[in-house]
Amino acid sequence: MSTKEAPPVLHAPARRRLKAPGQRNFSKPVRLLLLAALVLFSGFPLYWMLNTALSVDSELYGQAQGWWPHWERLADFGELIGTVPIFKWLTNSVVIAGGTTLLSLVFAVLAGYALSRFKFYGKGAAGFLLFATQMLPEALLVVPIYALFASLGLLNGMGGLILANVAFTMPVSVWIIKGAIDAIPYEIEEAASVDGCPRVTILSLVLTPLILPSVAAAAVINFFDGWNEFLLAKTFIAERDLWPASVGLASFVGQYLTSLNSVMAAALLFTLPALIFFLLVQRRIVSGLTAGSVKG
Amino acid sequence: MSLRTSISPPAVAQPPIQDAPSRHHMWQKISPYIYVGPAVIYLIIFMIIPVVQGIQLSFTKTPLVRPDGGTGVGLENYAKLLGSPQFYNSLGATVLYTAATVLFAVVIGTGSALLLNRAFKGRTVMRAIITFPWAVPTVATALIFGWIFNRSDGVLNEVVGVMGIGQQGWLVDPKFGMAAVVLTSVWKVMPLVMLVVLASLQSIPTELYEATRMDGAGALETFRAVTWPHIAPTVRVVTLLMTIWSIRRFEIIYLLTGGGPVDSTNTLVVNVYRQAFSNQELGRAAAIGALGLVLSLLVTVVYFIMERRTAAKEA
Repeated sequence: MSTKEAPPVLHAPARRRLKAPGQRNFSKPVRLLLLAALVLFSGFPLYWMLNTALSVDSELYGQAQGWWPHWERLADFGELIGTVPIFKWLTNSVVIAGGTTLLSLVFAVLAGYALSRFKFYGKGAAGFLLFATQMLPEALLVVPIYALFASLGLLNGMGGLILANVAFTMPVSVWIIKGAIDAIPYEIEEAASVDGCPRVTILSLVLTPLILPSVAAAAVINFFDGWNEFLLAKTFIAERDLWPASVGLASFVGQYLTSLNSVMAAALLFTLPALIFFLLVQRRIVSGLTAGSVKG
Repeated sequence: MSLRTSISPPAVAQPPIQDAPSRHHMWQKISPYIYVGPAVIYLIIFMIIPVVQGIQLSFTKTPLVRPDGGTGVGLENYAKLLGSPQFYNSLGATVLYTAATVLFAVVIGTGSALLLNRAFKGRTVMRAIITFPWAVPTVATALIFGWIFNRSDGVLNEVVGVMGIGQQGWLVDPKFGMAAVVLTSVWKVMPLVMLVVLASLQSIPTELYEATRMDGAGALETFRAVTWPHIAPTVRVVTLLMTIWSIRRFEIIYLLTGGGPVDSTNTLVVNVYRQAFSNQELGRAAAIGALGLVLSLLVTVVYFIMERRTAAKEA
């Protein structure tokens, strides 16, 4: 099959390898059609969230919803989301996700360091524990953790929720950090330890700055998980004012008291930070996730 | 496992710390445990003990209101489950949901990666749009799709109406419930497959392609000889992960259909939750959870056996 060379791409960023000459199994129109279908499939629901958030009430019930957003509704955006305590919930989400991230990273940096730099009895077992716990379904754990928290009085509080979240997010972080420390030449620490530097200081002042990109990737993944988490929060927190946005928004599923454009506007506010965050760090997340979740 | 090695540069080999000064000998011996200890103890408290307790719970009859006041009933929960059609229905829904979601996510994700692995104008934008769904919070996903699938006012019915098909209850008709949750799940998880496979594709050395081209190989042969062997391990690992995650997936199903219509999407995980928090039967819920865990483990074991076979064949 002899398809024509792909047209040269102008202004291509030099660092990226754009050409992979092996992929010629589709002729150009077919390829474009498939790509268009993919973009439509992935992009349409997001567009529809925006369109619904910026719709007028009459469109939502009865009359067919228009294909284009009513941009003038942007002016009423404050009023739209005013009917939903979304800012309260988003603040809770920030606290929960932030707390989860911080605690998870402290454990992960320490454990990742040990797993990368020491040889010790039980290392294999510790590694296995970190890998195997990723396989446990939350739904199995949610009942016993609920029972445990009920006896400790940790239900109905963000602190307890953070503690539970960390158990699920920390293993991935440990693998990411371990992988990052593995890639740092040992000589750097050696030089510092000859100078009589204690190990904790080396870890915090010498090593951590060097692996900062990976720490950031782990932080983002943890924050995402905390931001998204629903099952534990729904189970543990009954009080409406303490809900994170995930539980708060889910409470609108299947109820019709709050009009849908307000709900969608709130959902949009909940989604946008995640999308922007994700765009900024996309590459790192992917390598971090794949390294983290697979290495056994 | 080979995903990591195939997509990121191999780690630099490290000399472990050995030549400790003697006065620090004891300290050297305990210090790794001080570093790794907190994480391990934490996981034991919040993962291992709960799992053990969950399994213990499965041998009791425990009401939700008194989680620590159960009475032992031996294997009764398991016996009841294994004798009830509702459980097999739930198991069937899990297998169907998992198989369909994994199949579509892996095929579409790998296909998108192949499509995006060549230069063209607008590639960056397209890749961004195709990846977006992965970053959309699950609850927001459920809200959007719930509205798209809405029976009386949803846009999907508007579209099929134009095509001359009448309004369908996508989320309330047992014919469509499973398809709707699978579609939503594929939308959400497919980008991860795409990104991981794309990373693997981009690590194929260009020289390999040049060599096959010199040999006069066509596109299909090139794919078979170069591309597929290179990405196959990645595709296998990502399939395993997708499978384990699909068996575990809760939010999308719970929020879209709540396990209905007529239990058609009542997967094991959703079932656990309903038994525990709607029927308030913690013991039975734990038994379902334990059987679900067995299913995940089974998948992992099968995967490793297959990997070993492949490795043996290649050797």
